[in-house]
Amino acid sequence: MTPRRSLLKTLIALVLTGIMLFPVYWMVNVSFTRPRDMRKAPPNWLPIGGTLDGYRSVLHDQLPYLGTSLAVGLGTVALTVAISAPAAYALAKLAPRGGGVLSFLLLMAQMIPGIIMAMGFYAGYLELGLLNTVGGLIVADSTIAVPFAVLIFTAFMRAIPDELLQAAKTDGAGVLRIFWSVVMPVSRNAVVTVSLFAFLWAWSDFVYASTLDSGGAARPITLGIYHYIGNNNQEWNAVMATAVVASLPATVLLIIAQRYVAAGVISGAVKD
Amino acid sequence: MNPSATRRRAIGIALVALVTAGALAACSSSDAKTGDAAGGTYVIWDPYPQFDDSSAWVKLLGDCGTKAGVVVKRTAFDTTDLTSKTLLAAQQGNAPDVLIVDNPVVSTLAEAGVLTSSDEIRLDTSAIDPNLLGAGQIAGKAYGIPIGANTLALYYNKSVLAAAGVDITSVKDWASLTAALAKVKAAGKKGITFSAIGTEEGSFQFLPWFWGSGADLTKLDSPEAVSALSLWTDWLKQGYAPNSVINNTQTTSWQEFATGQFAFAENGTWQRANAAKAGFGYGIIAVPARDGGTAAAPTGGEFVTVPVQKTTARYAISQKLVACLTDTDNSLATTTTLSYIAPTAAVQAKQVAAAPDLAVWVSAVKAAKGRTGDNLGTKYPKISQPLWTAVQAALSGSANPAAALSTAQAAAAAATK
Amino acid sequence: MSQRTRAADRPSVRRPGENAGAFSPRPRPVRRARSEQWAAWAFLVPVAVYLLAFFAYPLYRNVELSLRDYTVRSFVHGGAKFTGLGNYAKILKDPAFVPALTHTIVFTLVSLAFQFTIGLALAVFFARAFPLSATLRALFLVPWLLPLIVSASTWSWVLNTDSGVANAVLQQIGIPPVTWLTSPTWSLVSVIIANIWIGIPFNLVVLHSGLQSIPGQLYEAAQIDGAGGWQQFWRITFPLLRPVSAITLLLGLVYTLKVFDIIWIMTRGGPTGSSATLATWSYQLSFGNLLPAFGPGAAVGNLLILMASAAGLVYIRVQKRQYQP
Repeated sequence: MTPRRSLLKTLIALVLTGIMLFPVYWMVNVSFTRPRDMRKAPPNWLPIGGTLDGYRSVLHDQLPYLGTSLAVGLGTVALTVAISAPAAYALAKLAPRGGGVLSFLLLMAQMIPGIIMAMGFYAGYLELGLLNTVGGLIVADSTIAVPFAVLIFTAFMRAIPDELLQAAKTDGAGVLRIFWSVVMPVSRNAVVTVSLFAFLWAWSDFVYASTLDSGGAARPITLGIYHYIGNNNQEWNAVMATAVVASLPATVLLIIAQRYVAAGVISGAVKD
Repeated sequence: MNPSATRRRAIGIALVALVTAGALAACSSSDAKTGDAAGGTYVIWDPYPQFDDSSAWVKLLGDCGTKAGVVVKRTAFDTTDLTSKTLLAAQQGNAPDVLIVDNPVVSTLAEAGVLTSSDEIRLDTSAIDPNLLGAGQIAGKAYGIPIGANTLALYYNKSVLAAAGVDITSVKDWASLTAALAKVKAAGKKGITFSAIGTEEGSFQFLPWFWGSGADLTKLDSPEAVSALSLWTDWLKQGYAPNSVINNTQTTSWQEFATGQFAFAENGTWQRANAAKAGFGYGIIAVPARDGGTAAAPTGGEFVTVPVQKTTARYAISQKLVACLTDTDNSLATTTTLSYIAPTAAVQAKQVAAAPDLAVWVSAVKAAKGRTGDNLGTKYPKISQPLWTAVQAALSGSANPAAALSTAQAAAAAATK
Repeated sequence: MSQRTRAADRPSVRRPGENAGAFSPRPRPVRRARSEQWAAWAFLVPVAVYLLAFFAYPLYRNVELSLRDYTVRSFVHGGAKFTGLGNYAKILKDPAFVPALTHTIVFTLVSLAFQFTIGLALAVFFARAFPLSATLRALFLVPWLLPLIVSASTWSWVLNTDSGVANAVLQQIGIPPVTWLTSPTWSLVSVIIANIWIGIPFNLVVLHSGLQSIPGQLYEAAQIDGAGGWQQFWRITFPLLRPVSAITLLLGLVYTLKVFDIIWIMTRGGPTGSSATLATWSYQLSFGNLLPAFGPGAAVGNLLILMASAAGLVYIRVQKRQYQP
């Protein structure tokens, strides 16, 4: 590509990103807005005469929740990969009897409404004493990602050449060894993609968090929003400020991860 | 690792997991005991997530626990979650010891057998205003005590009215109110904002006009009811009220009023603190009835209730906690924090003494009416939903008020049969 | 493409995403040895148990709820009468059913079409690196980081009839304000717009990784043959991306069918049911009222599960036919 052409592309990409992120900008805008200007018609495009009250209360009330969110997000990633990668390996390469049915069930599992899932977890956790624990929330959040992860991992692992596995087998490696030393390293890009999804879903989860962890100390940042939604009154600038603060660290993480995704996908693809 | 070792390990994992699964599935049917609420810990649930542990409200809960000789464990829920959460917990035999819940839900929970009646646990309700207690009475039994009350009235913006040449004392009935709105619009400002959203909030806001027309919830399609809905519909058509009311929550509606562009806003007691911060002069009048006088507005606010427990032995302490939360001094503090009106005449007098502008609200609360009262009880939700649907239909123009309300009446009649 | 159909036995051109459906029938001429079956299931046990533990019970419970006549009292204390398919008959006869079904279909198909097309266009656009491309692509994922309650509220803010920025823009270019969320004509359109926006990142990410795995040589060869960009897209990108596209669309369908929070927060399914889908209706019945109707709510939910299953089966059929020799 000529330098001018790629500069043009960057320009177009900037505009497209701007359009896509406009609602996000609007959220930022509202987070600075004084209550009296919230419903001004026509609205202010910039937070003129804005207020930092929203952020003041967020910094005051919310920072501890960020740690919980991070722990829940990373925990979900670990659990999701640990459960779904071996399963996908079996489905993709070991042709188990009943594998097709299992995959179909995984697809269906995603259709159960989140709120029904949450009610099931609530009943169970109450007995097991897992309400308001980080671990409990990790398990619940992983149910969003595991079916998806198995399907995606399977798709990627099918592409690993059988010759590669055969060679390892000839060298005397067992199934477990092949999985650990051959399949997983080659699937690095799939791991990154799945991790990205698992993390994002766990980070922005609201239904499970509000059902299972709404009291106590193990509240993630998304629940911090409830702090500003009283039963008669909502402080929208603080709500939006919470969302901004909640998305900042995750955005940085995303940008870093994206570089690896791109690199991983290319190098992980089977070369011919 | 050889294949058989792999197999053994896999079976081991499977067993552990199956046991977990069994435990999870089993608890749906198991007879649960009162979990961690046993011993000296009493569980309180409230719908005030805006108050954290350092707030006066949570401190009060702690103090009441100390006085009763127990430790209080408090959890706050979003108000819309609280009902389903309570039903679930009750199903698992694990309801909180004390539950503070929105008043129209009380009859539903009582019907579900989740709450103990006030006789059973000997709550003293004699000092409470009877119209407020009404929301918690079904089939001759009372459930819980109102912790405080609120209701709706019309806030007005003094400078907008002055600019439009409207004298607020001239607003006495619907005709004069509509005339005032016309003047405001002519002066280039906006008339009135309210919330007509398709939820209970929408019904709550429509009820003062509905009752103010002389209509009755058992007959949604009466000519009086049609006149109330026509009033709102015409305001939208004339541009006296913005189209956004169809989707407004009460908070959104308040934000519109806070821009300073609106002459009137129908909103609740809880906005007093925000009104003071709004930066313009405001006043309050009661919602007028169609032909003058004050319309009955619905009561809002929560009830302190005691859910049914496995062991009746816990009620004695729960009763102490409730009594503590609702006693005179604490009631004053609580209602002030929540920006509510107290449920007893004695505390109301104290409130007015401290803030004279509350007098309007106190009389509004006295004139207010419980939604589930009139012996409607659990029928109310089945009537309210068709009602808000009719309001939405008429305001969005998909049906005229009469047709919308006759559909609503048919739906309500079928549901409450 | 003949080259495609034989791909399965030509590992040299196989790509990730090939046979993307996890259950696409790979030719499996020889059942492997018994010990290998054991090993395979040893790997599958965690996920099978996981499914059983966390999904079977909620599913069972949803079915059970839908087959009984639950009142709040029997929900708490048990003893609800078994009514067979009574709840299903009730919802099928409900005047709200046909509109909700129609809205579900329109909502799902239109959302999918736009999410996929826009996602694909963006993926192609971002396929070759240019300055800042990785960062900008990452920024496209930001909408995902927001809890739905926030993004949906922001959309209702933007689309507010009186104080929304969308109407302010329209006014500026001389178009009268649109009653986005408050009129029966526009409410469905509005929630679809918001849903498309939320779905774009998912399509972008999956399709982008699919694109990355198409060998670059194919494009170089096509270029030598004199194929233009448009031709390259239709002759190479589109057919080679088909398996990934299929799984993306299938997952998209499953996710879109169950969307309720966006609609619920923006319009509550209103005004007067004009933006209600089966998912919001189910929620409305079970939780949107002071008096919950768990039975009919669960019945509507199960109808949705059936619809998704049907889509899954169709997908398997198509996959099978495609890979039959």
